[in-house]
Amino acid sequence: MSNSVACNHCHLEFDKSVMIVEEGVGFSVATPKNHTLYFCCNGCQGVYHLLSDEGLESFYDKAEGIKLTPPTKQYQDSSNFNSAAFYERFVNINKDGFHEVSLIIEGIHCSACVWLNEKALHKMEGVIEANINFTNNKAHIVWSDEILKLSSIIDMIRAIGYNAYPYDASIQEAHANKERKEYYLKMAVAIFASMNIMWIAVAQYAGYFTGITQDIKTILNIAEGVLATPVLFYSGWVFYRGAYYGLKNRVINMDLPVATGASLTYIYSLYITIYERGEAYFDSVSMIITFVLIGKFLEILSKKNAADTLDIIGKHIPSVVNILKDDAIVSCKIGDVVAGDIIVVSSGEKLLFDGEIIKGEGFFDESNLTGESEPIYKKVAQSVISGTTSIDADIFYRASKDFKHSTLSNLVHLLESAINKKPRIEQMANRLSEYFSAVILGFSVLTFSLWYFWPHSFEISFMVAISVIVIACPCALALATPVATLVGLSLGAQRGILFKEAAQLETMAKIDTLILDKTGTLTIGKPEVVEEHLYAAFDTSLLYALVSASKHPVAQGVKNYLYQKDETIAGLLFDTYKQIPSLGISAWYQQREILGGNHKLMEENGIIATFESTDTLFYVAIDKKIVAIYELRDKVKEDAKEIIAAFQKRNISVIMLTGDNENAAKKVASEVGLTAFYCNQTPQGKADYVSMLHEQGKRVVMVGDGVNDILALARADIGIVMGSGSDIAVEMSDIVLLNDSLHSLEDAFKISRTTYGLIRQNLGISLIYNAITIPLAMAGYVIPLVAAISMSVSSLLVVGNSMRIRYKWNKN
Amino acid sequence: MDNWVIAMMLGASIFLGAVALFAFLWAIKNGQFDDEEKFLNAAKYDGEDELNDALKQEQKKQKLKKQYRPE
Repeated sequence: MSNSVACNHCHLEFDKSVMIVEEGVGFSVATPKNHTLYFCCNGCQGVYHLLSDEGLESFYDKAEGIKLTPPTKQYQDSSNFNSAAFYERFVNINKDGFHEVSLIIEGIHCSACVWLNEKALHKMEGVIEANINFTNNKAHIVWSDEILKLSSIIDMIRAIGYNAYPYDASIQEAHANKERKEYYLKMAVAIFASMNIMWIAVAQYAGYFTGITQDIKTILNIAEGVLATPVLFYSGWVFYRGAYYGLKNRVINMDLPVATGASLTYIYSLYITIYERGEAYFDSVSMIITFVLIGKFLEILSKKNAADTLDIIGKHIPSVVNILKDDAIVSCKIGDVVAGDIIVVSSGEKLLFDGEIIKGEGFFDESNLTGESEPIYKKVAQSVISGTTSIDADIFYRASKDFKHSTLSNLVHLLESAINKKPRIEQMANRLSEYFSAVILGFSVLTFSLWYFWPHSFEISFMVAISVIVIACPCALALATPVATLVGLSLGAQRGILFKEAAQLETMAKIDTLILDKTGTLTIGKPEVVEEHLYAAFDTSLLYALVSASKHPVAQGVKNYLYQKDETIAGLLFDTYKQIPSLGISAWYQQREILGGNHKLMEENGIIATFESTDTLFYVAIDKKIVAIYELRDKVKEDAKEIIAAFQKRNISVIMLTGDNENAAKKVASEVGLTAFYCNQTPQGKADYVSMLHEQGKRVVMVGDGVNDILALARADIGIVMGSGSDIAVEMSDIVLLNDSLHSLEDAFKISRTTYGLIRQNLGISLIYNAITIPLAMAGYVIPLVAAISMSVSSLLVVGNSMRIRYKWNKN
Repeated sequence: MDNWVIAMMLGASIFLGAVALFAFLWAIKNGQFDDEEKFLNAAKYDGEDELNDALKQEQKKQKLKKQYRPE
């Protein structure tokens, strides 16, 4: 039992007999000198010695026995990282004249891995900075290109047992990070100052009630003023900027009353401090800025980063293909392939070019492009489309276009434009704040003139006018939306529904059209045996062996069915085995012929089969006699009908789009109770359909799962993807349903409606609050204490109301 | 005279708080909180070696800068 031993590098345990054994070169605390070393492979051994030569032995002490991935050796040549095209796309030159690149490091398990990578890179001559983020495995490396090339950096990362590939740290992402950091800084200052002002304010208020000398009051005012100044001019700068750009575009936005209110209050308080009479409101200045800033930050936090999406698509396209040149197969960069080149594809690979098969035959998966779930058989002289995947075909084909003009890169282009064209519904709070701001500013001007001409001194009139702005505190209004959306997002997250951007909650609540993809969304996506008809007894392991070897979904369906019936079932070895394209499989076992396939296969072998069914049928014949028939169907998800009915009841029109043929579409549609469906849709067709609905003024949600849906997903107001969908579709979507269930779809809708309702309630609360307090302020009844208390109370009301909804939902 | 005591206490405590605030701002700007995992681990790993390493890295950068920017 104790024969297994852990590899000294990767710590995976293997039997002693298969390990590479080495004596007495251990160097770290975990493996002291004169200790026997074990390695599972050459790769691990190599890395171990490299680390010891470089003096990085303490890695193993830091890793503390964490299991690592053994390094793999067959990496493609790293020299293509040095190409001009690569540099142009991924490498930047910073202001000091150094080069910088962003990489994603693969194989990072623990913080020791981060340490090791940074150390190893730091030791290289010419590397100036290497910074790896443990959370997302992204590395930022700065180096001097005149001393070493990028390929040597990549080689080093590979040599120590990791892999790296570049990603485009595009401007958007960098910008988002910078913006976030700026908010951290501003919030730190604002919160620090506000907290200090608060304890000074305690003294002020105590003095207000129990008496305080003017000297002390002035000292406290000055201290508050000193603290409030950076809050207003540093932290509050975003509001000045926002108000300025708003005015420039002739829009009165939320920033304007915040900026004017805060600055007027600040100026007034300065005046009070200098002339030593009345009450200063420095605490209000910093509180307003701090609260509203936090509200703004919450909104920024939940904004989606579109930049990563296109990176992921790029990652799925390999950079080289094998082409046939002078009777030899050579690898060639996809950019260098021209029309007429002969490309070699083996089974499982993706086709990157459009072309025509000149040798070989087999099945192709075109579901990426057509949504057709059945594999398509193609042979010599037939054309193939880029973006399809070869299931079992080893072919040579002649490219008819270069990569730039291929269907695949067309698709990528369409996608890019679809992302940019995505409609945005303006958020309610923004619209409301426009009116609100204008009204408040109007009221304060009105108040001032009324008081001034109703003979009062300038000073009193001014103070009352300011108290109107201060009391119409935008805190509650600014917090109303972010707090509500946070509640919505967390409710979703608990149920496996990921909203990628907070604003989508509001959009989702307003939709009126729901488009569903058929395969994988309404149905499970794989044909399953729904009925078995046995006509004669036979050895099921024969059939199991027959279907196991085929990758065709029907055969796989039968295989899964047999396996479910008997988990101990095992296959046999046939004497001969042949897959007949478009028909089925034939095999010989001990002088007996076994046939499995469709009706046509039976006919061609002179077997009469008279079974009638609307489902896909799989016939099994032994020695020209039918022994079993399996009915297979791509089953509709259990609750599909109920959920669709629930949506229809809410007056949301539900439409099904599918790439499948009419019969299949009709059957599923009638099963789930749908009348509107469109079949034979191409990816472009689906997207066009969404655009057409937009032109009719509809708000569209698209639910899908495959690559064939991504264009439509990108163009719809909201794209929802099942968690099991393809990577690209998940990236493209706005909402991800992690548990693949249609119930989550309904939940997502309910949550967004609840959240939208909550936003309205919160806005209502803050408006009612204002309706009560503004007249009081205009009449000049508001004393500083009332202003301070009511400000907190209104914010607390909004937060409390949001918590109430959350509690109610969690109880259900 | 009491007034001066209060003014001084206020001034001194705000000043001390501000020093801490500036240290915090410097750390944010410096990217020390960018990766929450790493900055927690730094407490575990940082030692003399790491300090030396950081210094060497800084010297290397300065040296290279001089080489390429002779003007």
